[in-house]
Amino acid sequence: MAAKESLPAPGELSDDQREAVEHLLYRLADDEFVAAERYTEWQVRSPTLESDLALANIAQDELGHARLWYDLLEDFEYTESELVWERDADEWRHSTLVEQPFETGDWADVILRTYLYDQAEYIRLEALEDSTYPRIRDRITKIIQEEDYHREHAENWMARLAEEKDGLERLQGALDDLFPYALTLFAPTDETVEDRIDDLGLRSKSLDVMREEWLDVVVPYLEDLGLDVGDAELPEQYDVHHSEFELPADVGRDRSHTDAWFDLQEEFTNTYRELDRHEANRIMKDPDEA
Amino acid sequence: MDIEEVKRRAGPREFSPKDDMPEEYRKAATRMIQFHANSEIMGAYLERPFIREAPSLDRKLACSAKVQDEIGHGQLLYRAAESLGMKSRDQMLDELAEGKGKFLNCFHYPMSDWVETPMIAFFVDGAAMRRQATLKRTSWEPYAHAMDKVCFEEGFHVKHGEAILHELMTGSKAEQEATQEAFEEWWPRIIQFFGPTNDKSTHHGFASEVGLKQMGNDELRNAFLNAYIPKAEKYGLEIPDEPRIRKNDDGTYEVVEEDLDWDEFFTIAKNDYEGSIQQIDGRKAAQDAVEWVREVMDEHEQRAMGASKQQAAD
Repeated sequence: MAAKESLPAPGELSDDQREAVEHLLYRLADDEFVAAERYTEWQVRSPTLESDLALANIAQDELGHARLWYDLLEDFEYTESELVWERDADEWRHSTLVEQPFETGDWADVILRTYLYDQAEYIRLEALEDSTYPRIRDRITKIIQEEDYHREHAENWMARLAEEKDGLERLQGALDDLFPYALTLFAPTDETVEDRIDDLGLRSKSLDVMREEWLDVVVPYLEDLGLDVGDAELPEQYDVHHSEFELPADVGRDRSHTDAWFDLQEEFTNTYRELDRHEANRIMKDPDEA
Repeated sequence: MDIEEVKRRAGPREFSPKDDMPEEYRKAATRMIQFHANSEIMGAYLERPFIREAPSLDRKLACSAKVQDEIGHGQLLYRAAESLGMKSRDQMLDELAEGKGKFLNCFHYPMSDWVETPMIAFFVDGAAMRRQATLKRTSWEPYAHAMDKVCFEEGFHVKHGEAILHELMTGSKAEQEATQEAFEEWWPRIIQFFGPTNDKSTHHGFASEVGLKQMGNDELRNAFLNAYIPKAEKYGLEIPDEPRIRKNDDGTYEVVEEDLDWDEFFTIAKNDYEGSIQQIDGRKAAQDAVEWVREVMDEHEQRAMGASKQQAAD
């Protein structure tokens, strides 16, 4: 496939182009922000001091990535306040996987969640390496490097937990709960806009192709560990879709969310509202200068 | 080595695991470092909810990093304490969960509002940094070594706390008033951070003689007040009338001790205060909830070891 021509600078995009870029960025930024918000719940609550430090690292990486993606949305004259602190909860586009609450002590959930999420994250970042939007392309290398560590961390824990009976049972419980939500990672925000994202070459693989790739990686891996993925059947080729998987009622991408999200959003905007803030203070260097 | 020799030689970073230290020294050093390590963990426990409350992306990142740093300090300090050969890390963490481990007075008070965060991150951490800076010269080398990294990172924490204070005190009138209110509530606790005057402190004498402690409570409190009263005033905070603080002719400060609630302080020191129980039990519940993971990991390790023994036998 011939390389497509790069899109113009943020201010020079057509309305259709801009809409496609925005949808893509909201998918990325909201996922990372909300995933991190949940991961930080494990700080000072992880099983060992070492795992505490590791989870905190991962949360900060994801938060940092969210910051990089929101920064690109700020190119379109949005402020951080509008993007994060004052945006209505039913305007967010993250997958419902990342907003799920953790049951107290459910370490199997966070490990499995990071595994499912980071495998998908890796596939979608690879599909952005040659994006026709230069501002996205330029930020991929740094992010992809950090994701390697996340996948390694998750796989180490998965392997150890799965070898013990109690650990395997708990992983299975988490898998039953999370798998349908994980599939929403590949759900469209809006069919037309998602097609346009592909046509413009903003990403090199469609959601369906990425979903098949992801299933090809995670299903055999989970089954090898002795976990049951339900109706999973491996496709022989990418055009065989796993249509038998049912998505949950709320997929997130289309701005439908589970109750837990509304509680979470209420909590993390609490101080901002209570202090009656109208702007979010920046204390670090702009990502373009860093 | 006998105690007399320890006292004679006591100097900065003088002793390490290579030395044969008397039990009295090892006990005193373990007590001091364990207290310090526990305080890092309980401080992190107190601050964690404010990662969620942070009102900007950058601030959220900084709060998460700070809590992570404190856990890292705990990890380092438990290692330094373990090097004395008295207690294992697991033992010390168990003692903390069971309410036997002691920790800093300020971390026994629950914290509910964002305006309280600089009370910890600026004032308490600032006070801690004063003490920690002197501990770079403590006689137990692994402890001094841990302080190098801890002090370096605490510098960032205090800046972070100072920036939050600055934001709040240049914010709306309501923000400023709420911050002043929080300051008035925390100020006596912060002054008590340094403990009672030297002659009332039970462990001061020996710890100083063997070079573990480098500066007395009074001197440290003085240095803190000299630096932080002007800073508090610079940001527009009013110093409460009580406890009365007298400025001496030589520029030092003197706190009227009877203005402080020492009953509360000593109740806290025994972990018997209402807040102590709340903080300790809260952390214990969080640790109990993941006990299953540690058990699974133990099983796993034992099986892995068994398998390698089997292999060796084959």
